[in-house]
Amino acid sequence: MESFVVRYRNLLVLLALLVAQILGLAMQVRRANSGQGDGQEVRLIRLWANGIVSPPEKALHSTGSGVSGIWNNYFDLRHVRQQNAELQKTVDRLRLEQAALLEDAKQGQRLQALLGFQQKYIYTTMPAEVIGTSGTEQSRVFTINKGKKDGIDRDMAVITPEGIVGKVRDVFGHTAQVLAINDQTSGAGVIMESTRIRGILRGNAQGRPEIVDVISDQRIKQGDKVLTAGGDQIFPRGLPVGVVDFVVNDPERDGFVDVILKPAAHLDQLDEVLVITVTEPQFSKEQQQDIATSEALKGAEAEKQKTSEGMAEKLPGLIDPNLPADQQPLNDTSNPGFPTRPQAPLHPDRFTPTDAAPSAGAAQGSGQAQPKKPEPTKPAAPNTPAPQGDKQ
Amino acid sequence: MSVLSADARRDFEIHRYPALIYALVPVLAVVLQAWLPRLLGRFAWFDLPLVITVFFALSRRNPIQGSILGGILGIFEDALSGHPVGINGIAKTLVGYLAATVGILVNVENHAVRLIMTFLLSLVGSATYFFVVRFLLGMSVDTNWMSELYKAIGNSVIALVLFPLLDRTKIRD
Repeated sequence: MESFVVRYRNLLVLLALLVAQILGLAMQVRRANSGQGDGQEVRLIRLWANGIVSPPEKALHSTGSGVSGIWNNYFDLRHVRQQNAELQKTVDRLRLEQAALLEDAKQGQRLQALLGFQQKYIYTTMPAEVIGTSGTEQSRVFTINKGKKDGIDRDMAVITPEGIVGKVRDVFGHTAQVLAINDQTSGAGVIMESTRIRGILRGNAQGRPEIVDVISDQRIKQGDKVLTAGGDQIFPRGLPVGVVDFVVNDPERDGFVDVILKPAAHLDQLDEVLVITVTEPQFSKEQQQDIATSEALKGAEAEKQKTSEGMAEKLPGLIDPNLPADQQPLNDTSNPGFPTRPQAPLHPDRFTPTDAAPSAGAAQGSGQAQPKKPEPTKPAAPNTPAPQGDKQ
Repeated sequence: MSVLSADARRDFEIHRYPALIYALVPVLAVVLQAWLPRLLGRFAWFDLPLVITVFFALSRRNPIQGSILGGILGIFEDALSGHPVGINGIAKTLVGYLAATVGILVNVENHAVRLIMTFLLSLVGSATYFFVVRFLLGMSVDTNWMSELYKAIGNSVIALVLFPLLDRTKIRD
């Protein structure tokens, strides 16, 4: 027995290692299937790996950023003053636009609350830098330099100004792992802007996001915009996801297609991202002032409308407050024609209205109006064709 | 390719390295594997932890050490990937074992042999990875074999450059 162990020591160790890892995998899959997250042991392994890899990654990232920062901040500053002035103008304009939009958003949210919707709006984001990747092509996970101590939490949406990027998968002290939308295990609810077709977004083997299990539809065209649907409780509604690149038939299901997208965000070249940390309204003092100004302007508009309504009430009108809406004089269509003429008097006098024009029947100083005599009808000419009705 | 007896090769050609190299090089491989794809994007066709596993397994000519090193590096990769821990671990455990076993049997000082071995072991690693994902875990993961082929070529090229550099650090008796 001892000689067997010694002789096949290498093979036995290999088998032991493989079996241990297979058992570990089985346990993880079982936990995942039962809806639980990583176990404590696996989480510990991830924490150690992250603790070992993140500091050198941060150092490498800082070194790279430092070198490029020296160049960008000290040497390459041409046209900055002009750009600054232009940007200031843009900021002023956007502040006013933002105030109006925030008001609309607040109103929309109130209405949605009334309707029982549970959708989210972006109110606070946290910028973060991408410092590393998963290192394997099969996994589209990357690491950002913000973690639990910065207020990052699991399942927070990660975006760029161009479009959505992914969601926070694991959070550590000073770093977090983000699962990108082009990972095969990711999922997000999306909707096509023009056709309103909904679907689930995930990544394919080539690292491209695709909408899966879509019923074949001729209306889906290349270039159609795709937005977040807002039903997954992670991504707020209406954020750009990408555009339709092409459509392929689902190899496993007849009548279904997979819609391959061109992502709006540059998923392969991410440097900085925004993590949506708060989806409840939190306005800065400046924003509150802007909103107050906007509301005051709207108040003045409302006051003007109220005044005009008051004036309308005082003036005689075609609206009778005592009558129901369908019997209002304004809606009375029974007398659409001309006013009825009074019957001819038995003894007309000089004040009796006639058909003749005033100047035609009564000469100045004549003292009596002449009633108009009917003109005699002329006989039809012999060669004049008779009307068609007369022929019969 | 000269074939010697296993005992003779193990006794006379086991390479030893400073402890710092054993500690630093694998960690650096994992760090660079996580950091470089950020710069290279989808053109990051290499697997540095696999290259390092093959290098130490070939140099040490010890299947147990090769298996353990491969397993640890693979588990580290899994921990960073967000996927279940053990997929890459199993693949690289097998690669480490095979590299060390072959290293006992053949002369791997030849650069061409190293290049071919790294290429083949990369493909073995990829095949094992997909086998585990698809058949053991039953996950629906599509396979892009062209990408795996490019990765195997990339690993071979890196091995061609890296192995001589690391050979310089070995302790000479």
